[in-house]
Amino acid sequence: MSATQEFRIKWGMVIDLDKCTGCGSCMVACQAENNVPPAEDGLNRRRALNWLLVYRLSNGKPFPDHDIAYLPRPCMQCGKPSCVSVCPVVATTKDEEGGIVSQVTPRCIGCRYCMASCPYHARYFNWHDPVWPAGMEKTLTPDVSVRPRGVVEKCTFCHHRLMAAKDRAYAEGRDPEKLPDGAYVTSCTEACPNGAISFGDVNNPEHKVHELIKSPYAFRLLERLGTDPQVWYVSRREWVRRLGDNYLNNEPTKG
Amino acid sequence: MLDRRGFLKFVGGAAVGTLATPVVWKGLDDLSIWTQNWPWIPRLDKGNNLNTYITTTSKLCPSASGMRVRLVNGRPVRVLGDVNNPLSRGGVSALASAEVQLRYSPARLKRPLRKTSDGTYVAISWSEAETVLRAELAKAAKDGGLLCLSGDENGTMNELLSALTVATGSSDFYLMPGEAQTTAAAWKSLGGKGRVGYDFARSDYVLAVGAGVLENWGPVVGNRRAWGQARPQDGEPAMRLAYAGPVQNNTAAGADLWLPIRPGTEMAFLLGIAQILFARGCQSAGVESFVQLASEWTPDKVAAVTGLAPERLQMAVEQLLSAKAPLIIVGTDLAQGGEAVPVILGIALNTLLDRINQDGGLRVLPVAEPVFSRAMSYGDMMAQDFTAAVRAVAEKKRPAPSMVMIYEANPVYAMPGGAGVEALLQNAGFTVSFSCFFDETAKQCDLILPAAMGLERLDDVSTPFGFGESFYTLCRPVAKPLYEARAAGDVLLGVARQIGLDLGYASYKDALEAKAARLGIDWGKLMEGACITSRVTLPLQSLIFPSEQIATALQGRLAQPEKGTLAVATLTKLAFGTADSAIPPFCTKLVTDAELTAGELSASMNSATIRSLGLSEGMKVRLVAGEASLPARVRAFEGVAMGTVALATGFGHANFDAFNNGKGSNVMDLFTAVEEPGTGLAVWRCPDVKIVKA
Repeated sequence: MSATQEFRIKWGMVIDLDKCTGCGSCMVACQAENNVPPAEDGLNRRRALNWLLVYRLSNGKPFPDHDIAYLPRPCMQCGKPSCVSVCPVVATTKDEEGGIVSQVTPRCIGCRYCMASCPYHARYFNWHDPVWPAGMEKTLTPDVSVRPRGVVEKCTFCHHRLMAAKDRAYAEGRDPEKLPDGAYVTSCTEACPNGAISFGDVNNPEHKVHELIKSPYAFRLLERLGTDPQVWYVSRREWVRRLGDNYLNNEPTKG
Repeated sequence: MLDRRGFLKFVGGAAVGTLATPVVWKGLDDLSIWTQNWPWIPRLDKGNNLNTYITTTSKLCPSASGMRVRLVNGRPVRVLGDVNNPLSRGGVSALASAEVQLRYSPARLKRPLRKTSDGTYVAISWSEAETVLRAELAKAAKDGGLLCLSGDENGTMNELLSALTVATGSSDFYLMPGEAQTTAAAWKSLGGKGRVGYDFARSDYVLAVGAGVLENWGPVVGNRRAWGQARPQDGEPAMRLAYAGPVQNNTAAGADLWLPIRPGTEMAFLLGIAQILFARGCQSAGVESFVQLASEWTPDKVAAVTGLAPERLQMAVEQLLSAKAPLIIVGTDLAQGGEAVPVILGIALNTLLDRINQDGGLRVLPVAEPVFSRAMSYGDMMAQDFTAAVRAVAEKKRPAPSMVMIYEANPVYAMPGGAGVEALLQNAGFTVSFSCFFDETAKQCDLILPAAMGLERLDDVSTPFGFGESFYTLCRPVAKPLYEARAAGDVLLGVARQIGLDLGYASYKDALEAKAARLGIDWGKLMEGACITSRVTLPLQSLIFPSEQIATALQGRLAQPEKGTLAVATLTKLAFGTADSAIPPFCTKLVTDAELTAGELSASMNSATIRSLGLSEGMKVRLVAGEASLPARVRAFEGVAMGTVALATGFGHANFDAFNNGKGSNVMDLFTAVEEPGTGLAVWRCPDVKIVKA
């Protein structure tokens, strides 16, 4: 596992699981924004790539005490990313201000060590070349390169949007290292009709997420693995928070 | 004769000669290139990277999502939410998000097609297509035998189509059955004027009965935006939501209180609430008529019928009474073919709580007069019952129409299997479909005309069903129609004029301009993307609640399920398409095992139900209802009411595209159309099913 590298800016996501109803708007927006190809069979795990995947959670109780929640899972952009240390070709790094774990697909040799090491299953391998139905390639955005077969890909917190926000700041004479709250948000954040996803610099007191992560109901997935994710989840439901980590039976849930 | 020496000379010469030619080296080179020659993958068309944005409104998404479409060098590439849209306020549904990509669906109709006598299709030109259409329309105008069906839910196109139908001497203009007609029928039976809207955004407590207010009911994106904004991540919620329905669906996932009731028991549930409210002293003029009817619906009796624990019913009522602006919304998960009497009861409860024409309550909205002089009024359109008309033709109570014209609707797929739509199309003299996609209905028509999608034409959206304010905006084209698609409005106006049916406008744009003028809205502003809203309401007249109708309808719903059968609940998600579309290519990844298991429909039941039937998870079964039968796989899900099986809708397309075909089965095959006792409305109902091991 890599040593922690501290950044002055730390882009983070806070997802309110009590507000997610599992509609999938974030997944569609993510695919369209990042030129992820559609899959004829979305359940085919070899063909379907999901930078963001919505999981359904259950409290495990029988009817009528059953409860459900939905958990959108992007890349956690870990503070101590296990994927970075195992990459033999430095195709995935965490060295840029903001703390986004990069994925440089032209460098990737497809060994998939990073996939094996990621505890969140956030990485996907292109077993095949991407295919869009005839003509649909005209809807590709110019922001994110199309990946060929043989490389791994993952969520980048819409890194191109960060670049665009910085460019805008330069053009407008503002400090690109001091982006105001909302100047840079991911595609999924923007798309969620429920407003379940918040995004910003968790180190910046002027950004809303700075306070949100301090909520007693906030938690991170598998936090005790020590990966230090930059994605926080919030739920007032104790059973939801408990599913976020491997608790022993006698251990109290965080929050 | 070749001797040994000669043979060795030949081989040696051949070897030297081969090495001296470039063939070997070229061959090896080609081989090495071939091994590295990966298939083509798209390269990004960056051009000069000129980004432009056009705001418009989705015609595909029934909740009329406000969209800000991003174009790069003139190519639409992304649908983003429009924060200035007063309805969706920056939200966008999964369906609308995928709309730009859907333009290139493999199912997209590319050119006009004519069905030949042997059942195949031949491509024809638009000029030929218009000639055929003109001739058939002229024939229909002579015998008054045109039947027209529209899948548009909220546009001026319905005025055009109804005006054309009336001009040919027919009154057979219909809308695809939806929640709007059910609510309108309920409202009309109470003597209400105008139309009903629900002020979801200003309510602090919403009780949704059957209506998937956070997934597929009414202006769902607006609902969700309001609900989300009222629930800050770092504060107490300003709006609470209770959902009564048989399945823990996406709306239940967001609800503070889930009230599991068996399918078809909504009336008993609503009467149970009324009983407690009456007992607590709530009174309102007009509602007294069913005090007696409600009086017998004690929480225990409600529990016996619905399966809902009495304390949960009490809890819902306590929460309703403690809210400042409660609102009750009644609908169906299917959002089609619902019953009117539960809606009547919902209106009665809103009346009882004094929530009519209040902020955050049920609001009576005015209805604009049509701009086409011969068009049907809003009320008349809503009163037209397509399901009943189809049944009348099937039962030979009326002659088959000489011409059927279908606009952006897929009734062959979306209507109940036993409704008789296919028989209607087969018996009609001539059938024509204006459709964006080569869908199940288009494939049965004689003439198939490629319609421009909502992003490719000028159109409008006028107060989507369920929205609590009057609303009007234009849908502006963001790109030219693909292939040979054309906007149906202009084609029909042209053809009508050529056969002497002057509908009053030279183009559809002229009609929209007239509409804007009638509403007093500046056309220029509309063309800049403005959305106009109004909170004007009609004064409430006294409503007459028909307790006898309610009692009759209730009796029809009190039959106990036969032993060994299960009630069917549907599970509808907007991302899996609507009645006139299918799953967009970008939405297939949203399919989970909740919908499909091993390519077959998941029959979700709670574990107690599975045990009681002697089934096990993953087992292949068949769901049998009368003569209909569907294959499925048993799936355990504790969020389903007792004695109920939940099935996802939107699957089982036979003729759409590779993203849809061959996946699961069409639940509508189990449904039948029946007459609602009391109101006479044709409603869609799924009989209880038997589960047979396959």
